[in-house]
Amino acid sequence: MASLSNGQDERKRRLLQRYGTTVWPSFLVAAVASVVFFGNIDPETLQVQTLPEWNISRLGGYTIGFFMFWGVGLASSILCLILQKMGNRPT
Amino acid sequence: MSEQQQSEMYVAREKIHPREVKGPFQHLRNLAVVVLLGIYYGLPWLQWDDRQAVLFDLPSRQFHLFALTFWPQDFVYLALLLIVAALSLFFFTALAGRLWCGYACPQTVWTEAFIWMERLTEGNRQKRLRLDKAPWTRKKILRRGGKHLLWIVFALFTGFTFVGYFTPILELGQGVMQLSLGFWEWFWLLFYSVATWGNAGFLREQVCIYMCPYARFQSAMFDRNTLIISYDEERGEPRGGRARKADPKAQGLGDCIDCNLCVQACPTGIDIREGLQYECIACAACIDACNGVMDKMNYPRGLIRYSTENAIAGKPARVLRPRVVVYAVLLLAVLAGMGYSISQRVPLSIEVLADRNVVYREVDWATIENVFTVRILNKDRIAHDYALRVDGLEGIEAFVQDDRIRVGAGSTDSVVVRVQVPRDKIDGPGQPFQLRLESLQDPDVHVTNTARFNGPRD
Repeated sequence: MASLSNGQDERKRRLLQRYGTTVWPSFLVAAVASVVFFGNIDPETLQVQTLPEWNISRLGGYTIGFFMFWGVGLASSILCLILQKMGNRPT
Repeated sequence: MSEQQQSEMYVAREKIHPREVKGPFQHLRNLAVVVLLGIYYGLPWLQWDDRQAVLFDLPSRQFHLFALTFWPQDFVYLALLLIVAALSLFFFTALAGRLWCGYACPQTVWTEAFIWMERLTEGNRQKRLRLDKAPWTRKKILRRGGKHLLWIVFALFTGFTFVGYFTPILELGQGVMQLSLGFWEWFWLLFYSVATWGNAGFLREQVCIYMCPYARFQSAMFDRNTLIISYDEERGEPRGGRARKADPKAQGLGDCIDCNLCVQACPTGIDIREGLQYECIACAACIDACNGVMDKMNYPRGLIRYSTENAIAGKPARVLRPRVVVYAVLLLAVLAGMGYSISQRVPLSIEVLADRNVVYREVDWATIENVFTVRILNKDRIAHDYALRVDGLEGIEAFVQDDRIRVGAGSTDSVVVRVQVPRDKIDGPGQPFQLRLESLQDPDVHVTNTARFNGPRD
């Protein structure tokens, strides 16, 4: 692409690529995982069973669950990215 | 994050300003934008009887879809729906390429809407390019500010609508007016708004190029008979400028006048004349742009057109290929199964739990009793009275506190059931028997569960 010829744009491209291989895929996976998980498990039951002294609404439970899934996916993606980069370096 | 990485975040990219083109495909795309956004923004406002027609009521774990209500127990339909969506994507991709990307993907649709607003405030492509380079005068501030104001209002309304699919939208509207929404509603409203604003206003085609997984694996569904957008190289090359009345053959030129309109129209900034590229979202803007030029030059249309690899190579094109047929058959089978199963769905489900403390009880010398808790879920929108019956063991009888078990619309209730079997009819522990619950109002509404009766081992 002509507009990505200079160094600045090349850096921008790499940044976006990194964003695209970590933040975005983990977001998509977290969305699916949340649907599957909460389709079968009621966050309210989970809260009563595990953290009875906390007051978390269902909506709050879904949200926390979603971001937890996203966080886990993101951590895994970032590790993948780092490991892949190190693999390119001569040992 | 290292310093170098930090600095990268502030480097501005050369923004792509796609040129506005007119033509049949762009009309189709605009129509798709209007229809899809109309559905998205309109659907939550529809009412069905006395509730919202489409409401994914997360707080009470019920999904309302017009006349149907789904419960977590109906999870299988959601799984089937995801399979249907995936199969449809495979089918349409094999048949017609990236139809999804060009016409239906939310990223494309919202980007189009955001570009309309940009055009409204900042003018056409030339004006926008000039404005990008212009100093910050009063005019620029006004135009930029106007654009962002429009974008933000639109994005906020988008976020509001999104939450309206999960919380009744009329209540939500009141909540926003009175600033009395719950924390999580505010959170999702703003989260979705910011995501819309960022994705459709700034990231745009970069989502397709750098982030979209579908863009990477769609080529696996392609074959030589899939519809793609392609430039007829044989006809167009060698490209070059010429006078309108000149005879290109005499000058040794092809039909491409190298006006670059196809490149300017492209929302992902590629040159289709370089061949099929994964950045191409098949929006057909270049087709419309080129056909307009061909008309002006009095050349035949279709220098850039929907075609297939086989057609370009001069081979016969086939629509019905094994791949397409297999996808279609699978899709129809899953859809038919799903439709049948939904039509046969009974708005009632039960769970039978045996008493964990006492395995069995001797009522008298001749009778053994087991106690069960039956959890009844009335998924219907009216209250039902149910009658309970047991079957499957000789002389089996059931006793409930009330003969009529009444459960309200969309509610759950538990009843304790004492089941008795004559001792001489028991043949060891774990004898299966059937427990049947039937509505007194509607005999079609009934379910049968199998449970196990425990007795002494002689």
